[in-house]
Amino acid sequence: MPFATAMPELPIVAPGLCLLTDPAVVWLHLLSDVAIGLAYLSIPLVLIVVLLRRRDLAYPWLVGLFATFILSCGATHLMHAFALFQPAPIAEGLLKALTAGISVAVAATLWPVLPRLLALRSPAALAREVEERRAAELRARDSEARVATLIANLAEAIFVVRVSPEGTLALETVNPAFERMLGLQADIVLGVPAEQALPPVLRAAALPHWRRAAAEGETLEYEIAADLPTGRRAWQTVLVPMRGADGRVERLLGSARDVTATRRLQANLIQSARLATVGTMCAGLAHEASQPLNTALLWLRRIRSVAGPLPPGQQAGLERASAVMEEQLRRAGELVARMRALAGDETAQAAQFDATQPVAAALRVAASQYATEEISVTLRGTGEELPAKGSAARLEQAVLQMLANARDAVLERRRAEPAAIASIEVALRREGGRIVVEVCDTGTGLDEALRESIFDPFFTTKEPGRGAGLGLPFAAGVARSMGGAMEAWNLPGGGACFRMEIAAADQALPSAAAIGIAAA
Amino acid sequence: MSKVNRVTRRILVAEDEALAAMAIEEELLGAGYEVELAPDGQAALDAARVALPDLLLTDLRMPRLDGVGLIRALRALAPELPVVVMTGYAPLGSTESFRRTGEGPVEVFAKPLDMDAVLAALRRLLPAEG
Repeated sequence: MPFATAMPELPIVAPGLCLLTDPAVVWLHLLSDVAIGLAYLSIPLVLIVVLLRRRDLAYPWLVGLFATFILSCGATHLMHAFALFQPAPIAEGLLKALTAGISVAVAATLWPVLPRLLALRSPAALAREVEERRAAELRARDSEARVATLIANLAEAIFVVRVSPEGTLALETVNPAFERMLGLQADIVLGVPAEQALPPVLRAAALPHWRRAAAEGETLEYEIAADLPTGRRAWQTVLVPMRGADGRVERLLGSARDVTATRRLQANLIQSARLATVGTMCAGLAHEASQPLNTALLWLRRIRSVAGPLPPGQQAGLERASAVMEEQLRRAGELVARMRALAGDETAQAAQFDATQPVAAALRVAASQYATEEISVTLRGTGEELPAKGSAARLEQAVLQMLANARDAVLERRRAEPAAIASIEVALRREGGRIVVEVCDTGTGLDEALRESIFDPFFTTKEPGRGAGLGLPFAAGVARSMGGAMEAWNLPGGGACFRMEIAAADQALPSAAAIGIAAA
Repeated sequence: MSKVNRVTRRILVAEDEALAAMAIEEELLGAGYEVELAPDGQAALDAARVALPDLLLTDLRMPRLDGVGLIRALRALAPELPVVVMTGYAPLGSTESFRRTGEGPVEVFAKPLDMDAVLAALRRLLPAEG
């Protein structure tokens, strides 16, 4: 329908609107305004959908404002189109004014916001950042895996102790070295209160330090030693407390190093030096004492041979007196001989022999003797030949001394507990370049305060007259002369173990005897 | 039985303990040996140079010349000379260290001496001839 028909009475228009008399121009305006209006109505819809779906958008109010602005612009254009049919100058003007207000508001708002809008990262920058983050994360994960591998394969024991608000301590994480070193399995000890998880010897040695570190919140370094079934072991430990946000110590990070070998070496050196000192002293003393004893015994023989026939009563008296003197002098002579044996025969040619032979021989002697006392003696050996260098006879005597010591401990315990098990177990084996003889008993065990002294000559815990305190020092002296040493520890179930190490003959080892003493 | 030693065997005794040496001399004389006493190794060596003994009975630790030095010097004069060592020192029963001094037999006794055992050794080392 032509405009002329639709709008029969065109208003008197201002000269600028005269163009609208041309129907083509009117169509142009009408269609454009309608198109713009509809488009402007649809754009806010899109914006509203975006706003609703993307709640995380920066400046959502700005988008809303924009939507309102476009909506009002669209309304203005539609109104313009409507006005072609039915002029409504007032309504159109009011609408235009509203749009103007909104437009000005939007413009006024945009300018101050501009710097902040410019500061917003572009999607490309964001993508770049995301990529960088992902790479960093990968690196972190990689490094974490490396650290985890390192901890899992570390020779040091690593452990984390969780400290509950009530003060209960429980292992939270341990590495394989921890399990190996302490003979504990992670799946059994983790999460269990330490009082129950740790074996008694470790509990007694370690827990006081854990408690102290948890209470004081300061890094602690300490060394503990405990008698395990395999021997006395020593660990050097560092505990680092980790505090939570509230300042409470929540965890203890621990690392422990097995220093048994170092401590053993030090103990061996001390033992060796002590034995060398007392060995020299004993050898000198034995020599000095042997001279007057020798002379006295020789002259006693003279008395007997030169004494002429005496009246029967006096003859018997002389016999008795000289017998007593001889017996006492011989006793002193035996003591001198034992002291001499302690120093060892450093000048003797060392011969190679199979260590299983003298050990088995000593065991046969002891087993038959102790059987009458109802003490069982058993030998656990590997059956292989164990070549050693030194004197087989002295090794046999040394093992006999160790066995006699075990027997005394077992008998002493029996006096207190008549029903106690009385057994002595001897283990003979090779450990690397060393031959190990272990004598473990079910006796009274070692007094912790005296264990430093048990290898010192004339040191004895036995009643007077029962052992001169030369047995274990003799054994230690033999071990030393064969390139080894002795040590002792208590067994968890009671009793003690004495371990003698000597160098295997097919191994060139630096021997403790290299320090040496001059004996002859 | 009467003594059948046609030739009396001579024993050189090197011992610095005079009282012990005197008692040993009595024992050896009683057993039918001829005895020469020397208070130290050097005196023993001097005596042996004058007349070689059939056996040396010696202490180890002595002034001037010790037992090992004496044995070496005497073995240079008489390689087969039997030796009996009396010592208050360690090498019990080990004759190894003395073997190196020569070819002759060596016996070692610890002090205090078991005189019966020493006399038995002398009989072994100096068998009666004839």
